[in-house]
Amino acid sequence: MKRRDFLIFVSVTGLSPSIQAREDNRFKKEFAKQKPIIKAVQDHMFPKQSNIPSAHSMQAIEFLLQTIAHKSYDKDIRTFILEGARELNRREKGKFLSMSKEKKEKSLRAYEETEYGRVWLSRIMTLTMEALFSDPIYGSNMQEKGWRALDAYGGYPRPKTRYLEDV
Amino acid sequence: MYDAVVIGSGASGGAVAYTLCKAGYKVAILEKGRLIRREEFSKDELSYARRDLITPNLFDEYHVIEERVDGKWVATPTYESGWSFWNGNIVGGSSNLMSGMVHRMHPDDFRLKSKYGQIEGANIVDWPISYEELEPYYDLVEELVGVSGKYIPHQYEPPRRKDFSQPPTKENAVVKLFDKSCKALGITPLVTPRAILSQEKGHRKACYYSNFCGSYGCSSGAKSSSRETLIYPALATGNLTLLSNTHVKSLHSSKEEVKYANVVNTLTGKEKKIAARLFVVAAQAHESVRLLFNSANRHHPQGLANSSGQLGKNLLFSGGGSGQGELHEESLKEITLDELMTTGLFVNRTILDWYFVDHWWEGRFKGGSVEFMFEHQNIISRAVKNNVEEGKLVWGEALGKRLAKRFKEQKSIRFEIFNDWLPNDNCFVSVDESYKDKYGMPVGKLRIEGHPQDIKVGKYIAKKCEKILKKMGAKNIYSSISASASQNLVAGGCRFGNDPKRSVLNKYCQAHDIPNLFVADASFMPTGGSVAYTWTIYANAFRVADHIVAYLKKENT
Ligand SMILES: Cc1cc2nc3c(=O)[nH]c(=O)nc-3n(C[C@H](O)[C@H](O)[C@H](O)COP(=O)(O)OP(=O)(O)OC[C@H]3O[C@@H](n4cnc5c(N)ncnc54)[C@H](O)[C@@H]3O)c2cc1C
Ligand code: SF4
Repeated sequence: MKRRDFLIFVSVTGLSPSIQAREDNRFKKEFAKQKPIIKAVQDHMFPKQSNIPSAHSMQAIEFLLQTIAHKSYDKDIRTFILEGARELNRREKGKFLSMSKEKKEKSLRAYEETEYGRVWLSRIMTLTMEALFSDPIYGSNMQEKGWRALDAYGGYPRPKTRYLEDV
Repeated sequence: MYDAVVIGSGASGGAVAYTLCKAGYKVAILEKGRLIRREEFSKDELSYARRDLITPNLFDEYHVIEERVDGKWVATPTYESGWSFWNGNIVGGSSNLMSGMVHRMHPDDFRLKSKYGQIEGANIVDWPISYEELEPYYDLVEELVGVSGKYIPHQYEPPRRKDFSQPPTKENAVVKLFDKSCKALGITPLVTPRAILSQEKGHRKACYYSNFCGSYGCSSGAKSSSRETLIYPALATGNLTLLSNTHVKSLHSSKEEVKYANVVNTLTGKEKKIAARLFVVAAQAHESVRLLFNSANRHHPQGLANSSGQLGKNLLFSGGGSGQGELHEESLKEITLDELMTTGLFVNRTILDWYFVDHWWEGRFKGGSVEFMFEHQNIISRAVKNNVEEGKLVWGEALGKRLAKRFKEQKSIRFEIFNDWLPNDNCFVSVDESYKDKYGMPVGKLRIEGHPQDIKVGKYIAKKCEKILKKMGAKNIYSSISASASQNLVAGGCRFGNDPKRSVLNKYCQAHDIPNLFVADASFMPTGGSVAYTWTIYANAFRVADHIVAYLKKENT
């Protein structure tokens, strides 16, 4: 990643609000395209009938979108999340979504064999775990179901806002 | 004009500001971070432990880390690696977030060279002060800032006049198992002194064992952060002006004195100059060095206080490493699983038996200290750590089973080893015009390499600690000792000493070159001792502050 030149440029000038808005728009469009793939991967990794709540029931895909869109999230990794989904589908010639559970397992394990795929899958898993085990204020882990599944309750006081906003 | 400007509101800056304000001087603290109050802190893992919200975004402000890879120095900006060297940029600094395990340094740590001799490849020197000179200030920190504990005499425990005035924080029943196992091995378990109040004191409530301590701010005021213990009382004197969201870019000086600080408001981007009679830099070791480099001018072309060429040199982290083992129900014996699983209570155990080693086979050398604790109870990070088996990600139902077992049927106990990070020529801070932050200032470039002796010592101690875990019945025991830098324990870079040609600061942490410039944080330390730094940072900053008061008095007359 050649982020340095970019950074030094941006640090002096700052991103203008209009460029920022254009960036945000482009991201939202691209996310909408990759959303089904990412969701399918989450559902495969965090299925129903497990000791922990499923990605689907915890709306982990919505959490993922809001999380990577937030300014606190590393913008290079945000791009990588989308690219990795596109790459997975490209490897499967556009058929990943229609695959059976067994085929998906094979496909993801093969993807995991590549360095790129392994890092991407690990990112998706981490983001999904963040959904399941963050404070419910972030929109997932409803009724603390993620915490209850593990008998783990963190500590008090709980946050009243997301991302220390208004703190 | 202020009598003094203090840059940084952490452990060191707080101690100086408090002392000067109490003595009646007008002080301004310039702190780049914002104020988060006691009642505003929460145990939000995502925000406090997984995102850069109380530290700068690494794309805006970063460090460059130089490490040796295959014999070559490779520089990596931290926005590439994600390895942040910021530790807490809010009012009170990283002292808000510490775990509070603190120790005094041993008297021999002040004279390492005379006691143990030179080690090849290490720049060991004796300190210009002795333990006796710092001792009253260690006492002061214990009372004023607050350290709880229990004195158990031990050959390597520094001498002290009396027991702690606050009893130790409450302990998990696991200590029964721990103490018994140590005794069976002929090892002496000691109670960890903690910069945490076990009992209410003044405006601060007692610890309520919130379960999330390290990396989190304290909601009861029990943790002995600079904000709770020093900044608030200093504000109450009416002599302190606390300027948060105020980042210092550089100091402006003539040949003889610093005149003003160039600052930028981090919210509005507006710049201004803040003048004072005297300046105290307390931005945490590596950032203090960077500020002095970035303040170079025609009178001081190599950076402020750098006529010796020693600025930035001999940067220190903490040597050692850590290890861990799992306690399962079947091996518990004296205690129940429920007791073990009780949340919040501390393990509170320290071993000093290997602080100095004199072994028939291994030889005679300086060793280190060890802290025992539970693995951090962060939920997300514990889950994330447990998702790999034989190099592959675990997912599906297998993941659910694995996590449930991991969380409900066992608890991991950990040790952290602290031994000297020997000062050496390949560990220093510099700045480089090609790496700048969003304010257009060069960022700190840290070349990092440990000395091989540090690893030898760490491994020696780790073996002993693994034996304790084994005796306790722990499973899956492992340890990892490396020369990886502990980014939250930083010292050195502005050595103090009596010779202006070989040190940056004099014995009062006043710049040899510029009398109205002081550096109060851990950067003064020529060697680091074998305990975490913060008690020493607080104590030394109070000592320096007393000297500053004397200096200001003299200036007045
Ligand atoms: C998670 C964690 C756990 C820890 N646990 C322990 C422990 O158990 N035991 C122990 O002894 N130590 C521990 N520490 C370390 C301890 O917090 C530090 O040693 C101590 O706080 C350092 O004091 P300081 O004054 O040097 O710096 P800090 O307390 O970090 O304060 C420096 C302040 O300077 C400000 N600053 C920096 N640059 C500028 C600038 N240019 N302009 C304006 N302001 C600036 C920063 O924002 C910061 O607020 C821990 C630290 C962390 C992060
Ligand atoms: S209440 Fe106790 S355990 Fe919790 S943050 Fe404060 S000092 Fe730490």
